Amino acid sequence: MPTTSRRARAIADRDARFEKSLYDLIRGLRSHKGNEKEYIQNCLRECRSEIRSQDLDLKATALLKLIYLEMFGHDMSWASFNVLEVMASPKYHQKRVGYLGAIQSFRPDTEVLMLATNLLKKDLTATSTTTIALPIVTLPHVITPSLALSVLSDILPRLSHSSPAIRKKTIVTLYRLALVYPETLRAAWPKIKERLMDRSEDSSVTAAIVNVICELGWRRPHDFLSLAPRLFELLVDSGNNWLAIKLIKLFATLTPLEPRLVRKLLPPLTEIIQTTPAMSLLYECINGIIQGGILGSGDDTSGKEEIASLCVDKLRSMIMVDGDPNLKYVALLAFNKIVDTHPWLVAQQEDVILECIDSADISIRIKALDLVQGMVSNDNLVSIVSRLMRQLKLSLTIDRKNGANTSNSNPGESDDDDLERTINPTQKATEQMPPLPDDYRVDVINRILNMCSQNNYNHLNDFEWYIDILTQLVRIAPAPRKTDDMEAPLAIGRTNFGDISEHIGDELRNVAVKVQAVRPACLQAAEIISTQLKNDTPIGHSLNSGVLGPVAWIIGEYAAELEAPEDTLGLLLQLIPRIASPEPLAASLQAAMKVFSLTAGDHLMRWSAEHKSKILLLMARIVHTFEALTLHPNLEVQERSVEFTELLKLTVEAASAQEASTELVHQDTPLLLTQAIPSLFIGWELKSVATSAQKNVPLPEGLDLDEPINPNLNFLLASAESMSIPADEVDEFDTYYYQRPPATSIASEPAIARLEDERHETVGSYQQPTEESYLDADIVARRKLDRLEKNRDDPFYIQETNLAQRSSTPIHNILQNSNGPDLDVDSIPIMELDLDKLSAGVSHAPTKLSKPSRPKPRQRIVIAADENLGSSGQSTPKNDSENDSGSLASKAARARRLKQSVLGVDSTNIGSLNLEGGADNDAYDPEAQRREEAEMAQAMKEVERLRLEMQRANERIQVAQGVDAAGTVVKKKKKTAGKTKKKSTTTAAEENGGEGGVEEGTKVVKKKKKKNVAVIDEGAGDDVPAAAEQSVVKPKKKKAKPPVEIE
Amino acid sequence: MINAVLVFNGQGQPRLTKFYTQLETSIQQRLLSEIFALVSNRPSGACNFLPLPPLLAASGTSQSSSEPHNDVPSLVTYRNYATLYFIVISTSTESPLALLDLIQVYVEALDKLFENVCELDLIFNFETLHAALSEMIVGGVVIETNLDRIVAGVKAQGTVAKRPVNESRSTGLGAGLSMGGNFVWPGR
Repeated sequence: MPTTSRRARAIADRDARFEKSLYDLIRGLRSHKGNEKEYIQNCLRECRSEIRSQDLDLKATALLKLIYLEMFGHDMSWASFNVLEVMASPKYHQKRVGYLGAIQSFRPDTEVLMLATNLLKKDLTATSTTTIALPIVTLPHVITPSLALSVLSDILPRLSHSSPAIRKKTIVTLYRLALVYPETLRAAWPKIKERLMDRSEDSSVTAAIVNVICELGWRRPHDFLSLAPRLFELLVDSGNNWLAIKLIKLFATLTPLEPRLVRKLLPPLTEIIQTTPAMSLLYECINGIIQGGILGSGDDTSGKEEIASLCVDKLRSMIMVDGDPNLKYVALLAFNKIVDTHPWLVAQQEDVILECIDSADISIRIKALDLVQGMVSNDNLVSIVSRLMRQLKLSLTIDRKNGANTSNSNPGESDDDDLERTINPTQKATEQMPPLPDDYRVDVINRILNMCSQNNYNHLNDFEWYIDILTQLVRIAPAPRKTDDMEAPLAIGRTNFGDISEHIGDELRNVAVKVQAVRPACLQAAEIISTQLKNDTPIGHSLNSGVLGPVAWIIGEYAAELEAPEDTLGLLLQLIPRIASPEPLAASLQAAMKVFSLTAGDHLMRWSAEHKSKILLLMARIVHTFEALTLHPNLEVQERSVEFTELLKLTVEAASAQEASTELVHQDTPLLLTQAIPSLFIGWELKSVATSAQKNVPLPEGLDLDEPINPNLNFLLASAESMSIPADEVDEFDTYYYQRPPATSIASEPAIARLEDERHETVGSYQQPTEESYLDADIVARRKLDRLEKNRDDPFYIQETNLAQRSSTPIHNILQNSNGPDLDVDSIPIMELDLDKLSAGVSHAPTKLSKPSRPKPRQRIVIAADENLGSSGQSTPKNDSENDSGSLASKAARARRLKQSVLGVDSTNIGSLNLEGGADNDAYDPEAQRREEAEMAQAMKEVERLRLEMQRANERIQVAQGVDAAGTVVKKKKKTAGKTKKKSTTTAAEENGGEGGVEEGTKVVKKKKKKNVAVIDEGAGDDVPAAAEQSVVKPKKKKAKPPVEIE
Repeated sequence: MINAVLVFNGQGQPRLTKFYTQLETSIQQRLLSEIFALVSNRPSGACNFLPLPPLLAASGTSQSSSEPHNDVPSLVTYRNYATLYFIVISTSTESPLALLDLIQVYVEALDKLFENVCELDLIFNFETLHAALSEMIVGGVVIETNLDRIVAGVKAQGTVAKRPVNESRSTGLGAGLSMGGNFVWPGR
């Protein structure tokens, strides 16, 4: 429908029911497929003008349309004042639209909320129940402490409204008020309690009260202990499952405080478990028993073991039952709660839980993973990790296979028929295993790393296996997410997504540092990883895997153990020009230099002509590579490359000046090569240091960390910003900062490996995945070779025939020769009897080659513990910020994070309110409180009225100033908003500080040196009595407003 | 408590959004699309609970379960009826299985109000959708689970508009109510 005629019609039809117009909008949206954007912009423009109309019908219709569009993400905050106007409409159906608009669009910073107070108070006292319900339902969405303060007096009486519908809504709204303004509870609690105790109360209202108490319960369980008898009665008698669930949840928070409750609760709970047909109630019973600490706590164990096994058995069967994934999920949820307190009960269920790790459903998998992490031990670590690895690898191959056809699926087609389609719940994607999202993969990798490294690698027996796992993980790890992640400031608190391969590299480095025995293997892995990265990334693409940093560090630090340092150096030099991110680049520069210093600094090498030219060539190559980086935008990289380039140039001079030694004349290798450069890198061996060690370093006297080092810092920064960049440099900065690095897939592998996978997919055992199912072919081959090498002299291993040939002794050969080729003596295993070996090898004996899980004595491996400064005695070597101030700080940080969390409701205020105590100390009188509140409200009302009047006056002035074009109108709106804000801030200041009001206030009444209401007198003398009375009840007020506290 | 109730269709177009805490519109939309991405990727026979979307997982509940985390949304429950997905985001004080039933009650209530409800009814009468929801949940707390009372509460606010006659009508959501029949509550 053309928009012009639409608008004309809307105006013409202003008497028609307003849904008609929303209907038009939706019809229009549906008929403008393809160019909805334009259509919506048009509609928004229309709404902008319609909503300013004097006709309330038109206004309400426009608002309804805006609310509809808001659902699709079109901002309507600019219309908040109009929302208010519609809310004030006398007609219910318009009012309802207005309130809906407030619910959907008001935000904490919506300024017109101040103006809504009066209206809310008025509607709360309306006669029609439907009208009363509107503000009650809306308040939870818009509540602020000051609003709570002013509407409390009107909302409290609604608790005894004749309609149960109003009563139950009021109770919940009071709860939400209490969240932002805890004092609410002091006034409301006695009444709510009274309702709960009233046996003739409507069942819905009782249920609502229980729901609210359940929300409050975990914050302040002590206050509700006294209600236990009544709650118990409800649990036994009500017969309402919804109610029973909440009651059980509530009791679970109460029983830890009152152990006697347990004995009382057990019979009814057991009965429910055994009789209820409702699965949810059954589940919550079990859950309640678990959470309430009823399982195996205390010394009265009679009957508890019984119930414990009953619960666990039920949960187990919930997981085992086929065809209901929801039960599986909630059972895992329950196990997750038990695992902290009763790990042994969960450990018994290891078999079923492990099955869940392989579930097709990611929700179930994640929950199972949560559990598994707490269950790892020496015995099952390898099998658990193998399962996870297999999963990751499979999903990778599925991804590849799907890669081509995922883009074909087209979800965009939505026909009208579709909207009315009959339900057919089984028309899902046919695919068995959906591709795993990257988030999940990162999560799994993180968990694997955590499981293996737990307690300083306590659960790990086989480090070589672990190194291979790490090598494989680098290939599986998803490529780091690109810069668009920067838009997500909320995601920062999480384990960094882009860092996962760096995390893996860090693990490898940790192992290299801590476990000396496997250092050569780590080095080998590091070389393999970097070679593979080099080969897999297409030429011309840069490398941006985070693993490079730690890997380069390993190569450099332990260069002495490299098999072929010169080859490795060549590898590093090839890598360096292609590394994109600065940290790995800096590490690689350093590593290349370390390897060089080792190869060139060999004392024993003769300074022959051959050696000399080789070293000179090598240096020329390094200088060539490094020089390219001397203008690198990253300072760290720049500094290192400049330093090393200059040093090497110097060395080149020295080396070329030094004659090579001949047969006759011996010449020394230049000292720069043998002494100076190596001395840069040789020193104490690096050891791992506990994170808490720094805390034990005494603070030097006179060190003030808060004092700026350079008092002119701000000036320097400012001048640095204003400095212009020379034109020729701009390009490089541009490419560095603004161009995205090309996507690289580091996880590619040879095609043969894929074939290999498919084969194993079908034959692989479900009980114990073989290594082939999760390690790449080359890694498996290397492992096998290593193992053969290691076991060559082990009499318990039967060698493969071709290899056995190698181990033939001369006697074998003689025998073989004399017996002829027909008889292969080697095929008969010969067992040497060696008692020493026998005793040591008993545990080896039964293992087969392909089983990765052979338990291995680990006496050979020494894992270095983190070092610490022991002097202060505050911390033991193993404390990682778990104890002392570290944990406090982290707790605080966590608490802060909780507050900021999306959708989270902060209820910490409630916990700190002293409900009962306050009454005793201050001889609390609810009547006085209410009187005072009423007066307060009266006064506030007056303020609001005046403010509203001024607001209107203001607006009239501005309207008079001229509304010509649409543009200026928007501007005007802003101005008024600004005005409102200014006003609101002044009132806020007056309300809070008290001092602000003193200037005018003291003139009127001397005593009231600290209260808000004083400020009412912005020109109205009739407030004096109210203010005077105010001062009578002053002490109470002070409590009500915590920030004031002026004594 | 319940943090949000969302309804969207198979294309991810929202039909109802209700957040019980104030949230920026842009963040609302992001959450919506994140949840849609999760929901549309579910394999058949998967359970009705979603892993936390990245936006919510940012506040991290799994790291340390020992600390009280009842204020933070930790559970995303969904149910699929015909072309529509019904989502409830809640904290751990709600019972997961009961939430599934709550969604069922909501859909049944809509079915009673519209008589054989389908997505078109919800599109054109989204005000009624809101009204029905606010009879069941206020400020994130469940206040009513009785079907008749919910329907009566909505009807008390005025007549429920019928779908325009020129829109065709076929079998609606109601026919699919038996889909998740695993959790029928005889005692409700």
